[in-house]
Amino acid sequence: MKLSAHYTRTSIYITLTVLLAGAIIYYFAINYIAQQQLDQGLQQQLIEAEEYVRSSNQDPQQYDLDRDHAVFTRTNEQKLQKRFFDTTYFNPKAQRKEAGRAVEDLVKLKHTNYKVVITISRAGQKYLIEVITIITLVLLAGLLLVLFIINKYMLNGLWKPFQLTLKEIKQFNIADVDQFKGKPSKVTEFAELNEAIREMSLRVTYDYLNLKQFTENASHEMMTPLAVVTTKLDTLIQDETLSAGQLEQITDIYGSINKSTRLNQSLLLLAKLENKLITDNESINLKTVLSEKMLQFQELMQTKYLSFEHNLQPKQLLASKYLVDILLNNLFSNAIRHNNTGGVVIIELHGEQLSIKNTGANYSLNEQLIFERFQKGKESQGTGLGLTLVKNICQHYGYGIHYEYDSGWHTFILKF
Amino acid sequence: MKILVIEDEQSLRENITNYLNVDGNICESCSALNPALQKLSDYDYDCVLLDIGLPDGEGLDVLQYLRTNQKNEGVLIISARNSLEDKLKGLDIGADDYLTKPFHLAELKARLMAVYRRKALNTNNKLIFNEITIDVQGRTVEVNEASIILTRKEYDMLLYFIANKGKVISKNAIAEHLWGDEMDMHDNFDFIYTHVKNLRRKLMDAGGKDYLTSIYGIGYKFMG
Repeated sequence: MKLSAHYTRTSIYITLTVLLAGAIIYYFAINYIAQQQLDQGLQQQLIEAEEYVRSSNQDPQQYDLDRDHAVFTRTNEQKLQKRFFDTTYFNPKAQRKEAGRAVEDLVKLKHTNYKVVITISRAGQKYLIEVITIITLVLLAGLLLVLFIINKYMLNGLWKPFQLTLKEIKQFNIADVDQFKGKPSKVTEFAELNEAIREMSLRVTYDYLNLKQFTENASHEMMTPLAVVTTKLDTLIQDETLSAGQLEQITDIYGSINKSTRLNQSLLLLAKLENKLITDNESINLKTVLSEKMLQFQELMQTKYLSFEHNLQPKQLLASKYLVDILLNNLFSNAIRHNNTGGVVIIELHGEQLSIKNTGANYSLNEQLIFERFQKGKESQGTGLGLTLVKNICQHYGYGIHYEYDSGWHTFILKF
Repeated sequence: MKILVIEDEQSLRENITNYLNVDGNICESCSALNPALQKLSDYDYDCVLLDIGLPDGEGLDVLQYLRTNQKNEGVLIISARNSLEDKLKGLDIGADDYLTKPFHLAELKARLMAVYRRKALNTNNKLIFNEITIDVQGRTVEVNEASIILTRKEYDMLLYFIANKGKVISKNAIAEHLWGDEMDMHDNFDFIYTHVKNLRRKLMDAGGKDYLTSIYGIGYKFMG
């Protein structure tokens, strides 16, 4: 739920409660005041009636004061408390009953006690209260409507800078060159927010660049000592006094250097892919590249008595030749490395799909894990980054990659 | 061949100079940009080996200097950076080849020879080694003036061996030269044997001497 909706809801609830409570109090207050006035009027008429009765000195039973009803009844009661009460009033003109207000008192005339009841109409007062209620309700509805509209449009307008900032944060990519800018805002809070985010993004970008530079430099710095070791070994093997056993040890060291080199290069490449730094796209004929790859891996295949089967249809790709090379190298290399002696590698390219299928171990690999960094089989001599590179290259170009296993056949399927 | 090695890492520089200082090659070295520029202005070299990550300035300045002074040295860049942009940049501003660290000395020498041959192509487009004559432009090989047919890999291997004659070359170096260092060889180099055997047989069938010796446990040696 949006903040503005929260705000609208709360403000409308509160306004509604306050207004309703106000209306109720208002109603009773008006009612009370109107009654006071009626009672005052009645009191006045009562005094007038008493005076009239005293001055005229006659039986007041037929007494009628204007259109107000004054009823005198002889009574034996010596004492009667004056009281005002609600009653019905018969309007003689309209010939109907209306709400009325009455006063009751005792009038003494020559030792005779009369109870006098004067009744007047309350219709005017009721009408007034009705009008006031309607005006109040209309005002209330109007106020709610105005509140609603203000909240909906004004508040949304107020939050606009925030939404712009949010949009910019969402689009913020740490590897991008352009910094977070933030629209200048006159609202202090938003200006402060933008400033804080700008500072944070600058700091983050700076740290990130630092770290990236560090990783790159570290990887590159490692290459020089590796070069020293390699060239030292190249010099060492010229020594004719070395035994075959010693030379075999050196061969193993060469192997390890080669592995750390490839590991290093893979890490650098992964970093580059993640930062989208590779943009040298060109049109590639995948069929030709695959044929070349098969030729390139031919010798490696022969050492394990493997054979290729292939069914290739032409397919053009727009990608970096270098990345496609690495992608295929890794897939081919895996298909050979994890194959059985005398096994088969089947390569199929048709339509939007390339599949590389090989015979191998009699169990399925975990598709969730194989593409993770440094996840490799116990006997595997690889760097553990091969399939991670494959996945990242695929992601880079938006290709789909997945793994399938079917009774001894392992298949990697690439969808363009 | 006169070579100038510009490399700041001392042990690397020494190894390279020692390896190259044979067959009447003169190999000089320096460890920084300014002495290198001094040497280049005082003498002429056939080839310059240039590490572009020098401590006192961009190694690429050397290329700029050679170009502005219209000097004709062949330049082989060695760099710790494997990135494509660096390679292209290096080659764009006049380098002849680009080698990424770490590298085998045999690879370095073969590349250097290739750069040298390309530079000297006008006067000498034939590489002659005793009874073996290689036309590097036409990629053809003659033994005792009779041409022999070599596969691409055998031809590359022969050039590689001749460039490094008299040196023991590891199978790892040969594999990296022929298949590229991007390829994971699974630490299995048995397949090189077939190519070496075929090359040796073809040379001997044509009446060539048996130059190739297997050095057990490590690789091969082409006797000079």
